[in-house]
Amino acid sequence: MLPMLEKRRTLAGVMSWIGLGILVAFILIAVLAPIIAPYPAVGPNSQFLTPPNPLCGACAPPSFSHWMGTDNLGQDVFSRVLWGAQTSLEVMAIGVILALAVGFPVGLYSGYVGGSIDKAILLVMDSVYAFPGLLLAALVAAMLGKGPFNIGIAITVIYIPLYYRVTRNQTLSVREETYVEAARSLGAKPWTIMWVYIAYNVLITIPVIFALSAADAILTAAGLSYLGLGIQLPTPDWGLDLSVAQQFLTDGAWWTSFFPGLMIIILTVGLSFLGEGLNDLINPLLKKGRA
Amino acid sequence: MPRRGSLLAYGLTRLILAFPMLLILLTVVFTVLRIIPGDPIYALYGGRAPLSVIMALRHQLGLDKPYWQQYVTYIVQIFTGNFGVSLGAHYGGQSVIAVIDQKLPATIELSIGSMIVASTIGISVGLISGINRDKVVDVVGRLYGTTIFVIPVFWLGLMLQLLFAVDLRWLPVNSRFDISSSPPATITGLYTIDSLLAGRLDLFIIAIRHLALPCLTLGLVLSGFFAKTVRANLLRTINADYVEAARARGIKERTIMSRYAFKNALIPVITVLGLEFAILFAGAVLTETTFNWDGMGRLLIDSIEVQDYPLIQGTIIVFSFIIVLISILVDILSGVIDPRVRY
Repeated sequence: MLPMLEKRRTLAGVMSWIGLGILVAFILIAVLAPIIAPYPAVGPNSQFLTPPNPLCGACAPPSFSHWMGTDNLGQDVFSRVLWGAQTSLEVMAIGVILALAVGFPVGLYSGYVGGSIDKAILLVMDSVYAFPGLLLAALVAAMLGKGPFNIGIAITVIYIPLYYRVTRNQTLSVREETYVEAARSLGAKPWTIMWVYIAYNVLITIPVIFALSAADAILTAAGLSYLGLGIQLPTPDWGLDLSVAQQFLTDGAWWTSFFPGLMIIILTVGLSFLGEGLNDLINPLLKKGRA
Repeated sequence: MPRRGSLLAYGLTRLILAFPMLLILLTVVFTVLRIIPGDPIYALYGGRAPLSVIMALRHQLGLDKPYWQQYVTYIVQIFTGNFGVSLGAHYGGQSVIAVIDQKLPATIELSIGSMIVASTIGISVGLISGINRDKVVDVVGRLYGTTIFVIPVFWLGLMLQLLFAVDLRWLPVNSRFDISSSPPATITGLYTIDSLLAGRLDLFIIAIRHLALPCLTLGLVLSGFFAKTVRANLLRTINADYVEAARARGIKERTIMSRYAFKNALIPVITVLGLEFAILFAGAVLTETTFNWDGMGRLLIDSIEVQDYPLIQGTIIVFSFIIVLISILVDILSGVIDPRVRY
């Protein structure tokens, strides 16, 4: 039994490290885009004055000077894909952090006080959670308008119920621990018990949700941009570039859609590896703590 | 007799519980549409229309009334089946119900097709993975389950289009039907069913050829969840006491797998099916855009673009109804299959 556990632990460890590596690499790409991108994100930078493929404007297949080819406006796809990391990470960070900032305190409160308040909040959150996230986000995005910040807020709506759920459930079990009861009998105020004694022990479950919701947030944000509700041209964004590239796909210009999609996949695979790896690492820890 | 009664009671309880859920969803939609900054009339006409026209239209839509009054009207209208009239450029003047009636079959056809693809592929991968636990096949299967799930559905759609439609020319690139032939007469609105009802096998083949790529795209992405669930459940049932007991009685391993382990591993799939519908609808919006599929998802995005307020509201409400309905059906179905659920 023990060696099996060890083996699982290491697999989870490897997954987490790969995931973390990918995330860090993408953060570096986003931060260093101005230095490492060979061309600016916006504006024609193809050397082809007469495009080899007149059907899709100034697009050209991958070559030595343009590793991932150029798009219909003659913009270097490789550079746009690197710059696009900025947009995606920005939207993801806003969405996920805001969801945590709302979902965590509400979940903590709901789980701690219990009773009918808890039931009411739970019902609302569960109903919202049952609805297709992308549709809800599309609705909010349409009302708020385009731009990274607004899209960040729009996708927050999807993840608040998720953070709420996890926090609430964890609070419910931590609330019954002996040390919390001890604090209560010593006369600690509810506020102190919630934030000093319970919050820290609930926080341990958050990294897993953080990574998994971040992966989903990247996909949702890309989806919104693809639908034309997210980011506005000429801002480099993977989902948006894909929707532009789609028009030229039937002319055989595969590179303008292939590479932005590949970036989304690598980043989301990385984040879900991180999430699932952490889950395997943290869950046994939690169980051991319980025993 | 008492068993039958308890199932009925269970179903009724679920139905009653679904009502607040529906009401909350409708309230959320109302809140998003009215209280978040952004005025539909202003968005529709910009600064171009004179103030008197804008005011008249606001009055006509009841947007000049207090929120609570608008809310009551909104709820009453929904439950009396009056969703209003479209304002937008495409469907202006048509009733929202009529427009949705035209678009819903396309989405239903796409959804059913995708679910068939997703469950067939997902369950197969899950079972093969589970039987060969920790072997290479299993690792490949698990990797498939994890990665297919995070592939953007629109990207997968574009790549499949590129391969099967543009390069190989095996299947049509997009849309629901060939331009050169006219679709079967509308009975259900589902082209596959209608062409069969009309006895036209040629039209049925055209419809299936058009369905193939969108359903494959959406089905592949959704299959990951099935694969994971089935594998996890199979691992649980393989080690269950009743399987051990069957083994001890000397029943052949094949029979044990098919008659004992598989059967019980597949029960939770129904729950997954229910959960997947929310993801399915989100995916359908994207897939419909990729494949120029004239369904509810496209309708929603088109009406959001032109800020066609009643149409946005109507589409979202229909989605909410379907989701609540499916969640009830799934709960009742699992109650029928697994009586333990009812208590």
